[in-house]
Amino acid sequence: MLSDAPAVLPERGPADRLTAVFWRHPRVLLVLLLTPPLLWLGVVYLGSLAALLLQSFYSIDEFSGLVVPEFTLKTYAELFRAQNLDIILRTLTMAVLVTLTSAVIAFPIAYFAARFARGRWKALFYLGVMLPLWSSYLVKVYAWKLILAREGIVTWLAERAGAGPLLGRALDEQWFGGSSLSTSPVGTFIVFVYIWMPYMILPMQAALERVPGSMLEAAADLGASRGQAFRTVILPLALPGIVAGSIFTFSLTLGDYIIPQIIGNSARFIGLAVYQFQGTAGNLPLAAAFAVVPIVIMLVYLAIAKRLGAFDAL
Amino acid sequence: MTPDPTPAVEFRAVSRHFGAVRAVDSVDLTIAEGAFFAMLGPSGSGKTTCLRLISGFEKPSAGHILIHGQDVSDVPPNRRNVNTVFQDYALFPHMTVRENVAYGLMVKGVDRRRRRDKAEELLALVKLQGYGDRRPGQLSGGQRQRVALARALINEPRALLLDEPLGALDLKLREAMQDELKALQKRLGITFVFVTHDQHEALSMADSLAVFNEGKIAQIGTPEDVYTRPKSRFVADFVGSSNVLPPKLTRALGGPAAWASLRPESVRLAAVGPVRGTVSAVRYLGAGSRVVLRIGEVEVAAYVPAGDPIPDIGSEASPVFAPAALHVMEG
Repeated sequence: MLSDAPAVLPERGPADRLTAVFWRHPRVLLVLLLTPPLLWLGVVYLGSLAALLLQSFYSIDEFSGLVVPEFTLKTYAELFRAQNLDIILRTLTMAVLVTLTSAVIAFPIAYFAARFARGRWKALFYLGVMLPLWSSYLVKVYAWKLILAREGIVTWLAERAGAGPLLGRALDEQWFGGSSLSTSPVGTFIVFVYIWMPYMILPMQAALERVPGSMLEAAADLGASRGQAFRTVILPLALPGIVAGSIFTFSLTLGDYIIPQIIGNSARFIGLAVYQFQGTAGNLPLAAAFAVVPIVIMLVYLAIAKRLGAFDAL
Repeated sequence: MTPDPTPAVEFRAVSRHFGAVRAVDSVDLTIAEGAFFAMLGPSGSGKTTCLRLISGFEKPSAGHILIHGQDVSDVPPNRRNVNTVFQDYALFPHMTVRENVAYGLMVKGVDRRRRRDKAEELLALVKLQGYGDRRPGQLSGGQRQRVALARALINEPRALLLDEPLGALDLKLREAMQDELKALQKRLGITFVFVTHDQHEALSMADSLAVFNEGKIAQIGTPEDVYTRPKSRFVADFVGSSNVLPPKLTRALGGPAAWASLRPESVRLAAVGPVRGTVSAVRYLGAGSRVVLRIGEVEVAAYVPAGDPIPDIGSEASPVFAPAALHVMEG
């Protein structure tokens, strides 16, 4: 009976023939799989970026308001005008503060999820972190406008708790205050932190999860206190995740143009500047030059992170 | 020099329960200073939990743990002067080999130069001179284990705890490492406590061992004790390839009506004897053959030295042995 079995099974149809072709020429499959995404990435994605870069080296004719398609650095020089530099510095400060705050708040949450949460608690963690991402960004921002408004719950609670005068004094502060939380840079900051938080928590949690529990035990075993183990083992090993998270919060804050428009004192941020220069002002070259700023900042940031050894543990 | 009478590690009625599971159930244990002590048992028998109770990664649900006479039940791991070689080595991937080895001194605040010197000294001890600047990722499994060993020894611990230290190594390396660990322990005089599920490893390395079963210690003694005089069926079964004889068969073979163990190498085959069986399997071992006799429901292994005739499968034979070879057990 056994001897009746054929050595080679019969071909069942075109699917088997195709499988045979792919088996004999593995490269063919690779090329077929990679061509569409590479076309997308190369042409649509990088192509539009190149077009943007090109625009930034053009300038606008101040008289006619038309774009002059000739190479010049004049547009970049405009970035260094006081009011433009102001926009860049304001955005940068906001992005740094949002990133640092997000990291500090996200760490314990990510640490809990990575180290202790199991089964149902883990599902609850993912749900809790992701749920806000499922609802519309605009709805959330407007909801926060109500929460932070003068008649909103935060002010009401502060007054109830007797902290009303304290809040009032804080809002009187020159460089971050306003008539209410929703019209002050503090409000912008709070909403930024809220909106981008999941992007910090998730990579952080993934990085912390990759640190084996035995490594923490080894640190304690060798005499390290909790603080020492945190500084010498957890933090360095979680750093790639923290940097990944901070890339999200940092770059998303750098480029956002909606939150500062709805919440805050209408001081301009880079995103808003890009939006206005390419729209109402019709100054596409300056908008492009502004758009290049976050790219450059991110490149510098990554270079610093690399130098600090953020990617050593990868 | 008289040996230090204070035991290195002592368990007094220690239990560790995980919910309803009694991982360690009222264990009393004394590990002598300077011993090479093995904790042997199948997985889930509580041996690893016992090791973790010594290092402090687990807290006893009841009872007391003493390290060199001091109750450490409430002392966190970082303040217990015992160090562990982890099963997965747990080397810090972002540090060099030298930084790994010197970690224990670094957290103590020892200055850089002393740290470096001591680390080099320990790297030499484990025969890894010149590897200090590499990363753990660039080392082989055996080398990583040596690094873990050096790292655990740098604080000059009261006891070195090894969790399945050779489990991840291939056979040849494992045997070489066994000899080396043994030699190292002799040289340093530090108490070694190691956990293993491999009875050969436990018997060949330890000078005293505890056999664990279901959270309790089934037997404790020297390797010879445990191997030749198992206290229970479980120990006989787990530690050796011993024959375990039910009371009926023991009596038929001339012993009392009790469970007994009988080592295959003390059993020979004869044409006549009190009990007859059928040969059911033969395994050639080089220096002789292991022949399995089927007697009713029980299988009894015998040893046929090279040169003697090997019976055919299905033929009949009787097991014979010196009366002293029969070891009667408690149950």
